[in-house]
Amino acid sequence: MSTPIRLLVGMLVTAALLLAVSATALAAGQQEVTPEDDPAETELIINSNRSDPEPRRVFAEVVEMYEERNPDVSVTVNTFSHEDYKTLLRTWLGSARAPDVVTWFAGERMRFFAERDLLEPLDSLLGGGAFTDYFPASFESAAMAGDSYYFLPETWYWWGVYYRPSVFEEHGVDIPETWDEFMDAIATFKDADMIPIAIGTRYLWTTGGWFDYLNMRINGMEFHQELTAGEVPYTDSRVRAVFEKWAELVEAGAFMDDHSAYAWQEAATPLFEGDAAMYLMGQFIFDTAPDEVQDDLDFFRFPVIDPSIGLYEDTPIDGFMIPEKARNKEAAMDFIEFLASEEIQRYQAEELGRLAANVNVEPPDDHARKGFEMVQASDGVMQFFDRDADEEFANRAMNSFVEFMTFPDRLDDILEELEQERQRMQQ
Amino acid sequence: MIVGQRKINLTPWAFLALPLTFYLIWVIAPVVQTIGYSLTDYDGVTFDAAFIGLENFRLLFTDRIFWTALANNVRWLIFFALLPIPIGLGLAMLLNQGYQGSHFFRTVLFLPMTLSFVIIGQIWGWIYLPRAGALNTLLEFIGMSGFTRPWLSDPGTVTYSLIAAGTWRQIPYVMILYLAGLQSVPTDLVEAAMIDGASWWQRFVRVVIPMLLPSTVVAVSISIIDSLRAFDIVFVMTRGGPFNQSQVLANFMYIEAFNNYRMGYGAAIAVIQFAVTFTFIYLYVNYTMKREQAR
Repeated sequence: MSTPIRLLVGMLVTAALLLAVSATALAAGQQEVTPEDDPAETELIINSNRSDPEPRRVFAEVVEMYEERNPDVSVTVNTFSHEDYKTLLRTWLGSARAPDVVTWFAGERMRFFAERDLLEPLDSLLGGGAFTDYFPASFESAAMAGDSYYFLPETWYWWGVYYRPSVFEEHGVDIPETWDEFMDAIATFKDADMIPIAIGTRYLWTTGGWFDYLNMRINGMEFHQELTAGEVPYTDSRVRAVFEKWAELVEAGAFMDDHSAYAWQEAATPLFEGDAAMYLMGQFIFDTAPDEVQDDLDFFRFPVIDPSIGLYEDTPIDGFMIPEKARNKEAAMDFIEFLASEEIQRYQAEELGRLAANVNVEPPDDHARKGFEMVQASDGVMQFFDRDADEEFANRAMNSFVEFMTFPDRLDDILEELEQERQRMQQ
Repeated sequence: MIVGQRKINLTPWAFLALPLTFYLIWVIAPVVQTIGYSLTDYDGVTFDAAFIGLENFRLLFTDRIFWTALANNVRWLIFFALLPIPIGLGLAMLLNQGYQGSHFFRTVLFLPMTLSFVIIGQIWGWIYLPRAGALNTLLEFIGMSGFTRPWLSDPGTVTYSLIAAGTWRQIPYVMILYLAGLQSVPTDLVEAAMIDGASWWQRFVRVVIPMLLPSTVVAVSISIIDSLRAFDIVFVMTRGGPFNQSQVLANFMYIEAFNNYRMGYGAAIAVIQFAVTFTFIYLYVNYTMKREQAR
């Protein structure tokens, strides 16, 4: 081949390759538009973090029910693990091809996205007083950002100290209602060579429950709200008091000593097997309990520390949002309305043993009734540490909680660092 | 011929146009973009990021986690540069003998290399489990229960436990490099040394090792670069925990940028990591180029 021809061929090949690449890209782009062109089939894309087997099964059934009633809609559910979901959600909400409906948490976690205009207001469904037709008025603030609704509450649950009644009975331990009784129970289990309190801190958030409850029982909810809102210094003596109580537990050897090696489910195994006595956890612990333990798993209210302080609880709400960039908002709204309905909320609550957000749905079973009544009798509720506090700060703080549980002596440094972090966030 | 001379200049460029374009779009541009982000408070969600100059770097240098991560990267680097090389070389020498079954052992020893870091992290995560994990069970079985510990939640052992898992995969890699290198050691050279009465050890130290120098440079460089890239194992096994004690720069960057929505801060970590890695890559490329030219 002579040189000019070789050169020409080279350039032609390059051009052809470039063309081929762009043609493929174009084709791919066009292909994705097709469903919209076809009026017979509306495509609804839902991204979900309900990756635990039970919630996943129930949600799939709900979607099936929706499809049966709306034959013109085809629903695709993409399920992701909780940790992956968290990092991916941001990408989806910001992308031009956002999913139509996403699962998420109420409160600050929702507000982070709403304040950045990444969510579609749900006012057409929930506005004008309609919210309270569906849901308790106390949920309103957790579903709103500014003057608009962005979050559809679906199920909620309570936190409590989970235990196996048969294990308590075997060791002659009564349900502790005060801090002293709680410490006594811990001592009894410790003497019996058991792990008094199970906890898996590998993914950090389980420590948030401990901080929440200790702080709410010692300083009350108003202070807890101010603290999670970043308005109180972490070097405050009231914060220190929380850690001092926590240190009592650590020094008594109450927690399993290798907690940071476990995820929360892994740490639940000793509880189910009778090696650990208690676990401060949300109701969803039932999702992972083996069948033979289900009937032997109960909870009690976190013990009172200061009787002059009201009883407050963590009651996180799970639900749905519509991205601002959703391609099929009409169908998304319709689906969300379906999810809010009494029928579907009842179905989900019954299947999962959680509490439905819908006011007309009564607690599905005795266990849920007990949880419901505990919350009804409480003086106020919070979401959860990493749902009430700023996400970024919460991650740092919960890392510090784990550090504190390992090295309680470092408290001064830890508080100092948290305070610096808080000040940086406030800027 | 004028046209004939021009071909030398143009033909390679014509062929390079496509890869260069892609390289520009997918490698150079993101690097520049990341450096840009590192000077902002970009949260990765909205685009109203403000320029804050070197503030991210100032914060980074006062951040205890950054120094822990950097120190751990140095530990990874030291162990990755020191451990896999002699072990890989030793294994390569053993397997190069060509005795019966050496193919079998070669395959078995090479297997970890074929696994992704995520799978290796998962496997070693199980090995290290405090209760009923393989390592603690073995220690108890051989009567050394005093040495059992929660390997991944003990701040003192966690980083070394991760490095051990990483080394397990790095050794076969180095071994293969040396096995290939050994093929290029001329047998007549070794035989000549033998005739001259050199002992096995003398032949090994004076003939084989110097002849393997190119392989050694590649193995050391790759290991150092791999140690700086350490992310997958840390992410899968500990996420940098407990309380950031096993943190490395890459994982720290990931957590800040994607978990904590601090893209600007994450970018600043990436820039530091880039600078460190680039130094080693530069030394490596410089060496290879010199060698190429010396030929």
